[in-house]
Amino acid sequence: MHSFAQLEAYVDLPELLNRVEGDRELLAELFRLSRDDLPENREALHEAIDGVDLGKVAIAAHKLKGMLANLSATRLASLAAQIERAARAGDNEMVKNKLPGFDAEIDGFAAALSAFWPEN
Amino acid sequence: MRVLIADDDSISLRLLEKTLERAGYEVTAVKNGRAAAVEMCHPEGPRLALLDWVMPELDGPDVCREIRKQRGQRHVHLVLLSSKNSKKDIVQGLEAGADDYLIKPFDPEELKARLHTGLRILQLEDSLLEAREEMRYKATHDSLTSLLNRGTIIELLARELARTRRENRCTTAVMGDLDHFKLINDTHGHPVGDEVLREVGRRLLGAVRSYDFVGRYGGEEFLLVLNNCDVTKALERSEEIRCVVSRTSIRTSKGPLRITLSVGAYASPGDDDKTVEDVLCIADGALYEAKAAGRNCSRLAGRKAAGSAGATVGD
Repeated sequence: MHSFAQLEAYVDLPELLNRVEGDRELLAELFRLSRDDLPENREALHEAIDGVDLGKVAIAAHKLKGMLANLSATRLASLAAQIERAARAGDNEMVKNKLPGFDAEIDGFAAALSAFWPEN
Repeated sequence: MRVLIADDDSISLRLLEKTLERAGYEVTAVKNGRAAAVEMCHPEGPRLALLDWVMPELDGPDVCREIRKQRGQRHVHLVLLSSKNSKKDIVQGLEAGADDYLIKPFDPEELKARLHTGLRILQLEDSLLEAREEMRYKATHDSLTSLLNRGTIIELLARELARTRRENRCTTAVMGDLDHFKLINDTHGHPVGDEVLREVGRRLLGAVRSYDFVGRYGGEEFLLVLNNCDVTKALERSEEIRCVVSRTSIRTSKGPLRITLSVGAYASPGDDDKTVEDVLCIADGALYEAKAAGRNCSRLAGRKAAGSAGATVGD
């Protein structure tokens, strides 16, 4: 039996349960998919920032924002949105400023996902 | 109802898939815009789609444009789904050909309600097309016999004569008239006359090839257009048509009735310069001669036969 306790620090569980129409099995499946997809999506963002390609930064941040919003990870989605906005505005400094806060938060979320769904 | 969902984010895709399956949709899920366009542009593809905006290969608005360009006349209902939520984005999405726009993350009830709106539009289109097809059928067919009506069969004769000229082939116009039909109406009543006309129509249709045409020309008169049928075959074909009507009695509510048909035909060759009116007039003349020759026989115009201006064959 999975415990949602750790994830509740990041996810608005009542909202997410409403989105999945009370289907806890689906909810667990979505967390597993997130655990699997999150590293790659994060990597894409970091690569774009390292390459100072703001177009790619905006795309990667947009994808993370969508994924996190679907999971009702509201605070994280909002941080991703700030990076996306900064990238679209061509403000590389702002992108770099926002990244540590986002990374710290997403590290915690990734840990909570791994605790919920430990890797085999 | 089938629905296509396209999203490169596996979480969003799974969430949509499950929500829609629960709502009774048959879901096709793809992960990029190109695959979505291919599925949707297929003539038998889904008619309802939920498309993410940002996708690899083709983005949502490009998929909409591609579908609108390729799919043809049938409406497909396209909903763009995106976390892009500015007025400018919404307008851009709708101008690309989307019918609706939904902001991510979606609310399941709103999603289902929006798709239901799309379904209503598709159902409305289906019923309009059905009504149009019914009207087209009624405008081109005779309501009693279901054969082509007079206007349509003449139009088809004109078209086939034009093709005959272009391709230097031959088209035969066959006019058939039921013998003593008035007597059937007078003796047994018009409903029985109608039964006879319906059965004659069925028999005539059964006597021709799939690429020939059969129409009700008037009350008890029929016009058949036989494609690629030249003068050497015209009389033989006319006789087949006459015999299919005359050979066996027609069962009616007042018992079996023996019905016979007189036939006049004209085979128009590729180098003929006659108009459709000329062809009808000549075939009608041959029919008149068949009647004068005792009815229940076929007469081919313009072909010499012993003792007459045309060839006559009959029982």
